[in-house]
Amino acid sequence: MRVNDLVKSSRATLKHGKMRSLLTMLGIVIGISSVIILMSIGASAQDYILGQVQGLGSNLIIVIPGGSNNGKFSSPAAAQGIIITSLKQRDVDALGRDPSVAAVTEESRGQGAASFGDNSETITFDGVPANFFTVRNFVVAKGYPFSDADVQSYNHVAVIGSSLADTLFGAGSDPVGQYIQVKNVHFRVVGVLESKGTGAFGIDQDNIVLVPITVGQKQMLGTDYFTDVMVQANDTYTIDFAKARVQTILEQDHSITDSNKDDFTIETQQDVLSLLGNITNILTLFLAAIASISLIVGGIGIMNIMLVSVIERTKEIGLRKSVGATNNDILQQFLVESVMLTVIGGVIGILVGGLVVGAAWLVITKVFAVVWTFEFPMSAILLAVAVSSITGIAFGIYPAQQAARKSPIEALRYE
Amino acid sequence: MIEVKDLRKDYVDAEEVTSALRGVSFTINKGDFVSIMGPSGSGKSTLVQILSFLDRPTGGSYTFLGEKTDGMTDAELAHIRNKSIGFVFQSFNLLTRLTVYENVEIPLIYSDVAPSARKKLIEDAVRSVGLDEKLYVETAKLSGGQKQRIAIARALVNDPDIIFADEPTGNLDSVSGAQVMSILDGLNHSGRTVILVTHETATAEFADRIIRLRDGAIESDEAVKNPRHSKEQFFK
Repeated sequence: MRVNDLVKSSRATLKHGKMRSLLTMLGIVIGISSVIILMSIGASAQDYILGQVQGLGSNLIIVIPGGSNNGKFSSPAAAQGIIITSLKQRDVDALGRDPSVAAVTEESRGQGAASFGDNSETITFDGVPANFFTVRNFVVAKGYPFSDADVQSYNHVAVIGSSLADTLFGAGSDPVGQYIQVKNVHFRVVGVLESKGTGAFGIDQDNIVLVPITVGQKQMLGTDYFTDVMVQANDTYTIDFAKARVQTILEQDHSITDSNKDDFTIETQQDVLSLLGNITNILTLFLAAIASISLIVGGIGIMNIMLVSVIERTKEIGLRKSVGATNNDILQQFLVESVMLTVIGGVIGILVGGLVVGAAWLVITKVFAVVWTFEFPMSAILLAVAVSSITGIAFGIYPAQQAARKSPIEALRYE
Repeated sequence: MIEVKDLRKDYVDAEEVTSALRGVSFTINKGDFVSIMGPSGSGKSTLVQILSFLDRPTGGSYTFLGEKTDGMTDAELAHIRNKSIGFVFQSFNLLTRLTVYENVEIPLIYSDVAPSARKKLIEDAVRSVGLDEKLYVETAKLSGGQKQRIAIARALVNDPDIIFADEPTGNLDSVSGAQVMSILDGLNHSGRTVILVTHETATAEFADRIIRLRDGAIESDEAVKNPRHSKEQFFK
């Protein structure tokens, strides 16, 4: 039997029972669109998360206080509620002297309320040096960033996040030159940051107050250690070399001879990107696996309908065999029908999935104003087509075999 | 053309064995028109099902076109049904969701005839039963007589050596029945072998020879003295 005859015959059969075909396909449409939607949103979320890490700046080495878990990356000690005081000013100074290091920027972070007049907001305040803005890609949209002189002079100046500016001063207003209070300390606003979204470690970078490190660390927190240190590698050295240098310098500084006992953790941007990439990939696959359960349900629906169809068309099977159809011809015919059902269902599922992903993208970018990429990965489409075809074959083979095995005379006698 | 020797068919149901054919032997030559008659349960349908390879015998031998058929595979039997045999059933067995053209096309699909070559074969077959104006009509819309004529066109489309007609007039009024018998008679006159199963004498006498069965065995095998050869004779 020729392929075009198989397709023509199957198409005619499916067209004859349009409503049944559509309802049978529904399970596959739902299953495939779910897989597409989850894979697509997973890919977009991955882009978003990785984008946030890349937004830290370029060629960055992240130093976090506290040792790593057997050399593996673990969440920062601060995120676990543990205060570790191992990173100090002498470390920053030592790192800054190494030729493999282009810049060092340290942070002392705390939480508190920021207020202006009657408006108040709980924020993260971050004591940072003046080079923080360039090293960490924090662009000041209005006003200017504070300078080394401001840091050295303990000036009470602040650069605030864009959404905090809107909350305290109202949307569209210019807060530069105004005074705000952070933890009851007055600061003159000298700049407003460009919107940056949520950053690494889940900090909302638009709801932040950046103050000179001297003020933040010494006056507001009263500490002598840093929350983290970011090291920008010199372009003329590889990032791995710079990472090794940072480790050596800190170990010397902390008098550590066994690397397994380091009281700090060093990660490069690539390490974090790779880790987050792996996590988001696993999450996406996990979600897709859950969605694919509906494909199995859809497949069982197809098998059920095909079995009914085989019984209903017993006489037709007898007729076709009486005029020369072989067992294989009948098997192929029923198999092609079930594969056509699933593949058409798969294509509709891809389109539905695309529409939902597109609508979600519109809502996320326009309504929630989040920088969100529209991802419609080819791998998801190929997977959907492959899975729907395999579903058609897997769940169509049994009914097709039942049809093929019928004896021509018994099939013709069937009433 | 057809030679059966001691052909037997037993149906085994639990502990009971029912013999539908008890050693039937005969020969049918090319161009013969043979009627098989007998009362219900005589084994005539079983015999024609075996002769047309829809079923297998449980004993005896069957030689078709000079070839022993005993050890043939299902696929080989399907090939014979497609190339050498045309069927006309009492209940037409048309796919009513399809048009006349599509119904007549079915045997060609399984004989691997290229789609481009099919149109002429289908048109010729449908024209030979006088229904060429109905080519693209759904068969559900045809009368009983027209449906049976389309079934004959389907039986003819692969140019088979032999036509098996199982009670072809059983579901038809007498006028349509006469038309159908006239077509079968014409096919026989053009050289085709026709084997007809019927319980109606008027229909059976279109053949040159009548084999009568009773209880699974041949009761008589006689030539018809004055075979009927026209529609008018169908009503006598």
